[in-house]
Amino acid sequence: MSINLSRRTFIGAAASIGATASLPFLRIPGARAAENGILTFGLSSYPPNLQPWSQSGTAAGTVKLLIHRGLLSYGPKGEYTPELAESWANENPTTWVFKLRPNAKFSNGNKVTSADVKWCIEQIAAEKSTAFFRSEFQGIAQVDTPNDETVRIITKEPISTLPLWFASYNLPIIPKGSDLSNPIGAGPFVITGQERGASITLEASPHYYKAGFPKLKGIQIVVYADENLRVAALQAGNVDLIEYVPWQSMDAVAANNALKLDAVDGPFMCLLFNGAKKPFGDPRVRKAIAHSIRREDIVKAAFFGRGTPLAHLPISNDSPFFNADLADGWKYDPTLAKKLLAEAGVGSGFSCNILSTAQYGMLKSTAEVVQQHLAEVGIQAELNLPDWSTRVQLANRGQFDIAVHGTAADSNDPDALTSFLDGSLPPSISRSTNLPVPKIQTLLKAGRAEFDLEKRKAIYHEMEKVALEEVPMVGLCWRKQGYAMQSRVNGFKNLPGQLTFFSGVTLEGVSLA
Amino acid sequence: MAIYVLKRIGLAMMLVWLVATLIFMILHAVPGDPAELLLSQGGVAPDPAQVEELREQLGLNLPLLTQYWNYLSGVLQGDLGSSLQDGHAVAEEIWLRLPRTLELIGAAALLSLLIGLPTGILAARRVNTLLDRVLSVTASVFLSIPVFVVGTLSVLIFSQQLRIVPAGGYTPPSKDLMGHLVLLAMPAGTIAVGLAAVVFRTTRNAMLEILGRDFVRAAHAKGVKEKRIVVHHVLRNALIPIVTVFALQIGTLLGGTVLVEYVFNWPGLSGYLVRSVEARDYPEVVGIVLVISILFVLLNLAVDLLYAALDPRVRYAR
Repeated sequence: MSINLSRRTFIGAAASIGATASLPFLRIPGARAAENGILTFGLSSYPPNLQPWSQSGTAAGTVKLLIHRGLLSYGPKGEYTPELAESWANENPTTWVFKLRPNAKFSNGNKVTSADVKWCIEQIAAEKSTAFFRSEFQGIAQVDTPNDETVRIITKEPISTLPLWFASYNLPIIPKGSDLSNPIGAGPFVITGQERGASITLEASPHYYKAGFPKLKGIQIVVYADENLRVAALQAGNVDLIEYVPWQSMDAVAANNALKLDAVDGPFMCLLFNGAKKPFGDPRVRKAIAHSIRREDIVKAAFFGRGTPLAHLPISNDSPFFNADLADGWKYDPTLAKKLLAEAGVGSGFSCNILSTAQYGMLKSTAEVVQQHLAEVGIQAELNLPDWSTRVQLANRGQFDIAVHGTAADSNDPDALTSFLDGSLPPSISRSTNLPVPKIQTLLKAGRAEFDLEKRKAIYHEMEKVALEEVPMVGLCWRKQGYAMQSRVNGFKNLPGQLTFFSGVTLEGVSLA
Repeated sequence: MAIYVLKRIGLAMMLVWLVATLIFMILHAVPGDPAELLLSQGGVAPDPAQVEELREQLGLNLPLLTQYWNYLSGVLQGDLGSSLQDGHAVAEEIWLRLPRTLELIGAAALLSLLIGLPTGILAARRVNTLLDRVLSVTASVFLSIPVFVVGTLSVLIFSQQLRIVPAGGYTPPSKDLMGHLVLLAMPAGTIAVGLAAVVFRTTRNAMLEILGRDFVRAAHAKGVKEKRIVVHHVLRNALIPIVTVFALQIGTLLGGTVLVEYVFNWPGLSGYLVRSVEARDYPEVVGIVLVISILFVLLNLAVDLLYAALDPRVRYAR
């Protein structure tokens, strides 16, 4: 039997065989996740920088939680946990004492000492510092280091919430005299490689103080800026864990047996006002706006149903400071809203603008829903939707009537709401401007100075009551913040409430089945 | 010829300076302050005193003309400045990312030529046949589909359904060459789809125009083989419009692969430019635009010189 093989047939056959033979090799990169105790983590953005004490965004926060440790941290239920400090106590209302672990070491093997802690505090508080906690640290009068393992912090006024500062990922302890652009940490991992804009490679630190931790040999961070690609990479098995699961994909991820979804009500959406612009200086107008918004519509339109309406201050139901009696303080009531507007002398309606951004869908959709609901009570709002950078500048300069904002506080303690509620502070993206409410400022200060839990509860309940009447901000909804992972990933926990962005701290205990 | 090239280079340098100046001024005129943005990460409230301090540290409080002069002096010494976000050298970052974008464009260009040229020639030779119509309609479809749709569909099919390639990402070739090529395939293929359609249409139209010329008829009459007529007479004459259109497309891609880089997580120059604009990182933006302008101008110059090589009738005497 002879075969008539033309040149064209031969080339075609060879190409087919070649393509088929290459398929197994093509599969190799697609199956990278979960190899050799290395967890592949799909992050939503590449950190702009990893400066230890700057607020450089949540992606940077996650990486900092891998390479650094502070004096304290948070546990799975959001409780304080000891880290470099094995214990802490307040000797008197203005003195906190932290006892360092004798075995706490930086990743270069050097011991963490009280001198390192003191140096960090001094650097953060320094005149030219741009650290996140600089203004808070102006309240520190003195730092004593009686021995290598004891740090005594004396404050100018009583501060019951001082441990919150030292549990933040923006306050890691680094060695005295460090170069801030490339500091050594005392965390469970060390950075061994970076492809700027693309990936970060981390290996377990041999000097981490917790025996048996981290459980992983390393973490490979890969940046997937596109949320759909991030989910696709997880579904295709290219990554083990992703953050910022888009709301529209949560159902699909939850229904997939090979995957796990861990989502919590974390960040919140709110409205802010410019008190210098008429008629927003009148609390009745602000209250009318608070009552004119059907929050369920925002949850549906902006978050695909993955959220919870918020008709009071952003204090979660799980918090000891939550007051059920005030939970519906700003409930949807257009009749009351119209009545309040009439009492304020603007019953026939008025025009204003709403500042948001077209760059992020959730902020744009929220603004659109608010605009519709305000129209129903006679307020004609025009949307101002610039890019994010412009929006930040306009907000920081108070150039708006109403602003839509979405954020999370530093902790679940109501003291963390200070930067959102204290209208006496300078104009900012995260609070109303020209809207000081002295009673709220007094109560926030009192809550910060009080050490007794029950007394603090009473103070914050009173503060929330005042806020519901004065309306320095309008709570709209909690939004789900989700992490998704392969089912073989064990030990990762999305921390509750506003601590969700601190969840990276649990990666030290993650293992791969 | 040498005088012509020198003149063009001189003009090109003027053009690049003009573009850089324009971008520098526009960037400083638009709202958005890098210091404020840096300290407002995560939607938190920055302390105005800290913003002022950071502006001072970054040199943003200097008069605009002083900032411009400082930048220009740096550029003339080969220093494109440092990122306002993390102090990283801009030139270093560009040299890291530029090859990735060039590789992406190069692979897409190669693919599009391999597909567009032969199919264009084939369609022209069999004009008004079923094959020509099928190829023309296919090219029109490929031209009309937005690049992000092709990209997203590719991810859905090849990554999520067939699982034969990862859903985007980047591996340096030095680390894993095979993995690198596999990751390059989808983004390059996505760009190539539209580019091949452009090459196809240009080739087909240019070929059709030349095929009707007298010298082609004369060649046929002389009994020259069909293959030789197509390759040596028709294609060579049709190459000038093809090269022109193709070079313009490539030039546009230099800063225009944003969507593909975004969809496939390819850490190239375009994505870097977008992030820099968002962060109002002035040295980064101006540096990237400067490099893209230089490449664009050089590409145009190369194409002009290529004309002379392709067509001996083209000469640059003055």
